[in-house]
Amino acid sequence: MIQLDNLRLKFPGDGQLLFKDLSIHIEKGEKVLLLGPSGCGKSTLLQVLSGIIPKSVEVPMKADQFQQPPSWGYVFQDPDSQFCMPYVDEELAFVLENLQVPRIDMPDRITALLKAVGLHQIDPHTNIHTLSGGMKQRLAIASILALEPEVMFLDEPTALLDPQGTEDIWETVKAISADKTLLIVEHKLDHVLDLVDRIILFNHQGEIIADGDKNKILKSYRKTMKEQGIWYPGVWQDYLSSRPLKNLTPSHTDVVLHLNHFQGHRKKKPFISVEEATVRAGEWIAVIGENGAGKSTLLHALMQFIKTTGTFEIHGTPVKKGKRIADHLTFVFQNPEFQFVTNSVFEEIAYGLRLEKLGEPVIRKKVLELLDRFRLTPFQHHHPYHLSMGQKRRLSVAASIVKGQPILLLDEPTFGQDSQNTFALLEMLEDYQQAGVTILMVTHDRNIVEHFATRVWTIKNGLLSSDVHVRVKEHAHA
Amino acid sequence: MDLNFNETWLHKINPTLKLFTMILMFIFVLFVHQINWLINLTFGALLLLLVFSGHPKKRVSLLLIPFLIIFISTSSSMILFGKGDTTWVKWGLVHITEESFYRGLHLGFRALIFATFGLTFALTTRPVNLFYSLMQQVKLNPKYAYSFMAGLRLIPIMIEEFLTIRNAMKVRGVEQERGLQAFYFKIKSYSIPLLSQSIRRAHRIAVAMEAKRFTGERDRTYYYKLGFSLNDGIFVAYLGVMILLGYYLSVVWPLFPVGDVRY
Repeated sequence: MIQLDNLRLKFPGDGQLLFKDLSIHIEKGEKVLLLGPSGCGKSTLLQVLSGIIPKSVEVPMKADQFQQPPSWGYVFQDPDSQFCMPYVDEELAFVLENLQVPRIDMPDRITALLKAVGLHQIDPHTNIHTLSGGMKQRLAIASILALEPEVMFLDEPTALLDPQGTEDIWETVKAISADKTLLIVEHKLDHVLDLVDRIILFNHQGEIIADGDKNKILKSYRKTMKEQGIWYPGVWQDYLSSRPLKNLTPSHTDVVLHLNHFQGHRKKKPFISVEEATVRAGEWIAVIGENGAGKSTLLHALMQFIKTTGTFEIHGTPVKKGKRIADHLTFVFQNPEFQFVTNSVFEEIAYGLRLEKLGEPVIRKKVLELLDRFRLTPFQHHHPYHLSMGQKRRLSVAASIVKGQPILLLDEPTFGQDSQNTFALLEMLEDYQQAGVTILMVTHDRNIVEHFATRVWTIKNGLLSSDVHVRVKEHAHA
Repeated sequence: MDLNFNETWLHKINPTLKLFTMILMFIFVLFVHQINWLINLTFGALLLLLVFSGHPKKRVSLLLIPFLIIFISTSSSMILFGKGDTTWVKWGLVHITEESFYRGLHLGFRALIFATFGLTFALTTRPVNLFYSLMQQVKLNPKYAYSFMAGLRLIPIMIEEFLTIRNAMKVRGVEQERGLQAFYFKIKSYSIPLLSQSIRRAHRIAVAMEAKRFTGERDRTYYYKLGFSLNDGIFVAYLGVMILLGYYLSVVWPLFPVGDVRY
């Protein structure tokens, strides 16, 4: 089906070859998972195998022999940047038009495609912008099904999805791929493992270090996968058993936050309501709930991004409009890039301090300390945009917290991060929590809720519906 | 960002025909120098917008506000400072004459009629239909049509990102800075992430479009077939009647006792 011998490929400007004499053979009907650390070139390889490189993306490459798949479809990572039309039916019609399907056949084909990916309950003429991330990715699968591909390339299709969306995607792929060849790049192995039968494991240099039956690979390369930050099943157990015990119970008792009949409004309607809540220093609150329940809105309301009513006190002082809320609360966004304002990692962290008009020696000392704590010292002169995903995330946290605000709000900070980066970030947050910082964190990850949070807020239909203090789990080795 | 509106016959006109008729109207209006005729034409255009656009009156009125401001600003500068022989008021630099007054009003109405037609077109035409129609009626290259449509999809995403960045700037304290340097800094902090995201996104969409076998060539089928209908006839007839009736009325019942406003 696909045969590629001795591929050599180099991105212009890079010092070394990304692939040096890489060979790969895929048989018809095989379901293959490509695993490896971020930056090892898995996505690039998928693009080479599909012909996107060099046809659409020009990268110099050469291979001794290359047999391309006869027909293929490609699902990309980002749900927001693979559609060119505003409505669901128009997007599918775009593919059908490209294939020169007659106009009269289109509505039936569109209905059938939507049915195949489980989107038949929505009106075909729905604005794509209103769909959830998971639905968008299912639409992306529907649009490549229109191509009737023999080979499907899936490039981390669930990287930006929540657990429910992820599960739906793999269910969908399973349902439609019985007679197809699959090549998948994925970091989160939970659901995809049922689907694949062969795993190819890469190392940092873009070389294949293992290739074969999935069970064999999973068993013999567990340690490698852990080092590479892959979310293999059991990664949490392995992590917890290697972690020193920590006392998570908050030892502080002063009230930092008090809410009473607190509401956040959007378009003049209450979007989130909190009847009564008191938060003490050093608590780690996990905010959970379904998509669209109002988790992020709660953080936005606390940050005063939206209009709020009711009692909202920090350290016993009511928060007033126009007051500098950012002195007490700080917020870490999902996309770290939106928060960057300067041209170097050092300046990025120093920015908040410079606004305070602190002296240069004080700033320097504080920044170096944070750089060290967030393991960014070697990159202090880099441009923030040139960092890796995990480094960007750590920088955004470091830059947000530099003024020593007592309350830290985070909106899914571990989203799209590999396991190594996730654990590193959680440990850094834990240090702050031990020092008395209060953490409010929106998350979908049950493991974080179970092993790090001291309190869980569940948001349901725009209401804080349950508020539970969780007993500190003892993660002993036994 | 979906606006609710009723689909009227104005929405069903062939978009290409609508576009070219409107352009012709623009050119025609440039050559109308009789103020009474122009005022009648403006009322005809406003009638079309207010009655047949299918949008709530409140929304249309709101959208007209900036254009009324344009009307006032264009006409007032000509009225107050234009040349003329019959002086009405003279006060320092301000010199209002009969000729400048009518010429000012004329300019204002011309701006208003342009705005009215433009707004009518924008409110009653879906961009997707316009591009499908241009591909089918005037053989626009699909490469350009689909580039525009993909670009339009980026706008709501960019607005959302803009709002997120604004919040992020609040958190970072950028908003509390004042002065010219801070203004430059703010422009930079907004535009760089917005642009970098958009460029990346545009590139990804382009790759995704090619992965869906888009070649940019002309041999393709169309999901929407856009042809001509009776509505097109009604539209052209409406404009024709508007021009002729407007002229007739301007002769029979002139609002102002002047003809050609040129000086």
